[in-house]
Amino acid sequence: MKLKSLIRHETFLALMLVTALIVLAFQSDRFFTVSNLLNQGRLMTEVGLIAIAMTFVIATGGIDLSVGSILGLVAILTGVFWNNIGLPLPFAAIAAIFVGTMAGFGNGIIITRFGVPPLIATLATLALYRGLAEGISQARSVRGYPDWFYVLGQRDVLGVPTQLWILMAVAVIASVILAYTTWGRTVYAIGSNEVASRFSGLSVEKTKLALYTLSGFAASVAAVIFVSRVSTTRSDMGSGIELDAITAVVLGGTSIYGGRGTVLGTVIGLCLIQALKNGLSLAGVKGDGTIMLIGAVLILAILASNIFERSGTRN
Amino acid sequence: MSAAPYASLKGMSKSFGSVNVLKAVDFDVRPGEVHALLGENGAGKSTLIKMMSGLYKPDEGAFTVDGEEVNFNSTRDAAAKGIATVYQELLLFPELSVAENVFLGNYPRTSAGTIDWKTVREKTRDLLDQLDSPELDVDAKVLTLSVAQRQRVEIAKALGKKARILIMDEPTASLVESDVQRLMSVVRQLRDRGVGIVYVSHRMAEIFALADRVTVIRDGAHVATCDIGDVDEDDLVSMMVGRSIESLFPKQEANIGEPVLEVRNLHRGHLVRDISFTLRRGEILGIAGLVGSGRTELALTIFGMTPAREGEILIDGKLVAITSPTRARDLGIAYVPEDRGLQGLVKPMTIKQNVTMATMANVSSGIFLKAGEEARRALDAVRRLSIRCREIDQTVSELSGGNQQKVVIAKWLETVPKVLILDEPTRGVDVGAKAEIHSIMGELVKQGVAILMISSELPEVLGMSDRVLVMSGGQVTGEIDRADATPERVGAAMTAHRTKETAE
Amino acid sequence: MTVNQASIGATPSRSGFLRRIAVEYGQELIVFSAIIALFIVVSIVNPRFISANNLTTIFAGNAYIAVAAIGMSMVIITGHIDVSVGALIGVLATISGSLAVAGYPIWFAWLAPVLVGMAINSFIGILVAYARIPSIVVTLGAMSILRGGLISVTGGDWITDLPSGFMIAQKRFFDIPAPLIFMVVLTVLAALWMRHTPFGRSLYAIGGNKEAALATGIPIARRTVMVFAIHGAFAGLATILFATQLQVIQSTVPPNLELTIITASVIGGVSILGGTGTVIGSTMAAILFATIGSALIFVNVSAYWLRAVIGLLILATVLADMWRRRAKS
Repeated sequence: MKLKSLIRHETFLALMLVTALIVLAFQSDRFFTVSNLLNQGRLMTEVGLIAIAMTFVIATGGIDLSVGSILGLVAILTGVFWNNIGLPLPFAAIAAIFVGTMAGFGNGIIITRFGVPPLIATLATLALYRGLAEGISQARSVRGYPDWFYVLGQRDVLGVPTQLWILMAVAVIASVILAYTTWGRTVYAIGSNEVASRFSGLSVEKTKLALYTLSGFAASVAAVIFVSRVSTTRSDMGSGIELDAITAVVLGGTSIYGGRGTVLGTVIGLCLIQALKNGLSLAGVKGDGTIMLIGAVLILAILASNIFERSGTRN
Repeated sequence: MSAAPYASLKGMSKSFGSVNVLKAVDFDVRPGEVHALLGENGAGKSTLIKMMSGLYKPDEGAFTVDGEEVNFNSTRDAAAKGIATVYQELLLFPELSVAENVFLGNYPRTSAGTIDWKTVREKTRDLLDQLDSPELDVDAKVLTLSVAQRQRVEIAKALGKKARILIMDEPTASLVESDVQRLMSVVRQLRDRGVGIVYVSHRMAEIFALADRVTVIRDGAHVATCDIGDVDEDDLVSMMVGRSIESLFPKQEANIGEPVLEVRNLHRGHLVRDISFTLRRGEILGIAGLVGSGRTELALTIFGMTPAREGEILIDGKLVAITSPTRARDLGIAYVPEDRGLQGLVKPMTIKQNVTMATMANVSSGIFLKAGEEARRALDAVRRLSIRCREIDQTVSELSGGNQQKVVIAKWLETVPKVLILDEPTRGVDVGAKAEIHSIMGELVKQGVAILMISSELPEVLGMSDRVLVMSGGQVTGEIDRADATPERVGAAMTAHRTKETAE
Repeated sequence: MTVNQASIGATPSRSGFLRRIAVEYGQELIVFSAIIALFIVVSIVNPRFISANNLTTIFAGNAYIAVAAIGMSMVIITGHIDVSVGALIGVLATISGSLAVAGYPIWFAWLAPVLVGMAINSFIGILVAYARIPSIVVTLGAMSILRGGLISVTGGDWITDLPSGFMIAQKRFFDIPAPLIFMVVLTVLAALWMRHTPFGRSLYAIGGNKEAALATGIPIARRTVMVFAIHGAFAGLATILFATQLQVIQSTVPPNLELTIITASVIGGVSILGGTGTVIGSTMAAILFATIGSALIFVNVSAYWLRAVIGLLILATVLADMWRRRAKS
């Protein structure tokens, strides 16, 4: 029953994506070209990595609003560790990613040890981590990275943008983990009924702690890719990216209440949003119009799934 | 005193989906009487009182209050007609003061239209004094009060609304004996003032001490309404159950072996204090006690949900530290919890997924789940426990209560437990499934499993157990062998106090 | 407050008046003490901190945050949250400024943001209460709609040449800055309303125990829509102060304004889980933020650390709130 309805949601979403692609292709002949589509994949990677981790978090019934701030913090730290402290760039990036992962671990501790609702906990760390980024950077940006660093964000491997390879690999692995492993099953069980999961001997706290840590890690990796793509670091990087990620996840059929969702859905949701953004801008709609559209799509998607759920089976 | 009924229900019926929970039930309450409403769990008592208090609408039937036919759309309508309810799970606002809780939704106003706090506090004081509760502070936040005190706040709330009918849903279920006596004197006092009281309870002693009339319902149907003087306890029990107790609990004899679980001087908070007992292979040890006596808390401590602070637990003679449910599971302890929907099942997931939930390691290669193995085990469990379902990929929320309970039991049998703790194993299941669960318990002890059974149904405890452990106030107040276990002896131990509670 | 004169014969309460105040307003007292302590410490380091000029800046500059936090507190007390209020204030400021520049009567330019704020938030309230979409999702969506809408309409242009009669935030009455008067009057009115009207109390009931509120017969859905509408009205009032404090209206608002407003509520003692708190607390917390911001400057700490300090503060408060709840239960 449920599996079928899930498949239906993703099929429906995929159809929407195909329709959008066709319509947009007719709108502008620059849209449906290999180079444009690959470039869109490049632009989608950062939010994509975050959204895939977010899928797991939301599937447990949680949320992580601090990812944008972690991204900003890690971007700043990469620059500072390299430029101001003088670490070799690879080490600087790894150190920064480590700090960002610890920031996610911190979220997990606040949520699992102190019992703070994830929404509030990550709202607080959203302010804290962004504040740290601002304080450390003092509004200075770091530029002038060595050329090899841009391989990650601006070059291709085998004709495909480097970071798109990373995104695809992560998507495949994550999707297998969520669907076919005991860990994935645990994630769904926690999201459906946390208490019963605990009573079944599942390690609820450890799983949640791992997820928020992973979410921090994903945001950190996205940060390094981001820096490599735009060749600079600024403390406001990634601001608002949490909304884009959550929108993609929810649009992809993951229930905001937890217990349901797939990585495939999230990926389709991501593609749909990116296609709309790109297509609309090619058609002359400004970026701000697209932001509005995404907000509206988010509300409508949940409204639709609420109506769908209520008309379906009920406990 | 046979005054005309203030409220009377005729032919009330109600269905939820395809389940017919009330079938043309008649019921009435007169001013100044205590009318006990009796029935097993799931008999339809709570549905009936929810109709009277305006939470549910009947599908059929006529409801007359004060000579007028009424049709309640909300609790507010019921309150306007003088019907108030004190629910088992008290509906108070913990962060608000006692006085505010009493008058919320019903505030006296000043001439300016604002809340007249002075009157609110004075009237509350007055109502609480009427309930012999001068020690209750009207400004205290409700979250600082004990259960018994909260209950008195609820009653004051009903009186503040000038209730003519007060419905009390198992009011003594979570009270200690001294508070029960106090509550009963409050109820008598209200009756003498002309309030009609609907008293829902399982406890025969209270019913015979308080009630003027008693109505029994079973499986959603009205069985009888009689004056209390015309019946005795045996009559009421057989009306409630519909058959004699003996046939319900087919105790199967099993060989009782060596000790498997030994608990010594276990401590955890004020509801698990200095508890010692031994459980043997093939034995069913029943735990009796009132709600709030610490039975479930003891189970949760043994299961590692709330690990012990002091004391020892031995499994097969070896000292173990049970720090989490995961650890308990690995040590061969299984716990079928009290609240099936919340703690036992992940309802939106399938039968298959629920059955293997505690034993995912057995149906996986460490990381990846093996779909075939999982299905095989689930099918096996469905067959063995005769769980009635269409397919193992059906979500458990679609099953009946009894079959849901069997899924929870199946989940824990997958762990091949040495010790199976069953907390209210037959609550909210129908009579047929109840018998099946009892026969499963019989099978298990024959295989050498040791069972610890917590139950609020005394007949079940007496019928199934080899030995009965009685708890009160977080301590063991009696350990009685099957041969000596009579309702009187167990009941006396249930209300005994080993040490006096000092704080309230 | 009004209940301090219980008749001597039958004292309803068993505890003293001061104790009751301490129980009822614990968090408010903590925030108040923090402000006082900060004033003492910083003025020792730098006496210019307590100059009249700086005090005006502290109390008047953050008044719009305090006013917006009043409505936010009501929303959180009811058990919801609104992350779109920052974007809403931006939109309302542009509406108000455009009307003033276009020559509409000044009173109309002031009234419009209040009405539009109510209308927009009523719609949000309907989605939350009747379509049962969690408030965090609705308001995240609303935030991006409002923010995108604002920039696409204004194109990032600032509104200038505002008529001088419009600039109410720069006026003084009896030598007291107007924003300060706004803040105090609105806070007192809202506090009285929350404490002394059945409507105000019902918000605490809904946030405290939804099931019990339903059983008491409180129309939860309708109240939810209304509390969002009232919150919209306060956002409108906050907008008037925000839009008239400078000679221009930018098409952006301070980043994470909504977060600052939520933080003011939470630090002021409004529980994140709903059901407790007062608007007095949130106003004091807004003053505390302004004090911290100003103090950082006077003790020569870079303003770039302000958000980190506030972030740490909100985290500490949230943890303390959870800890207090645990200790209670």
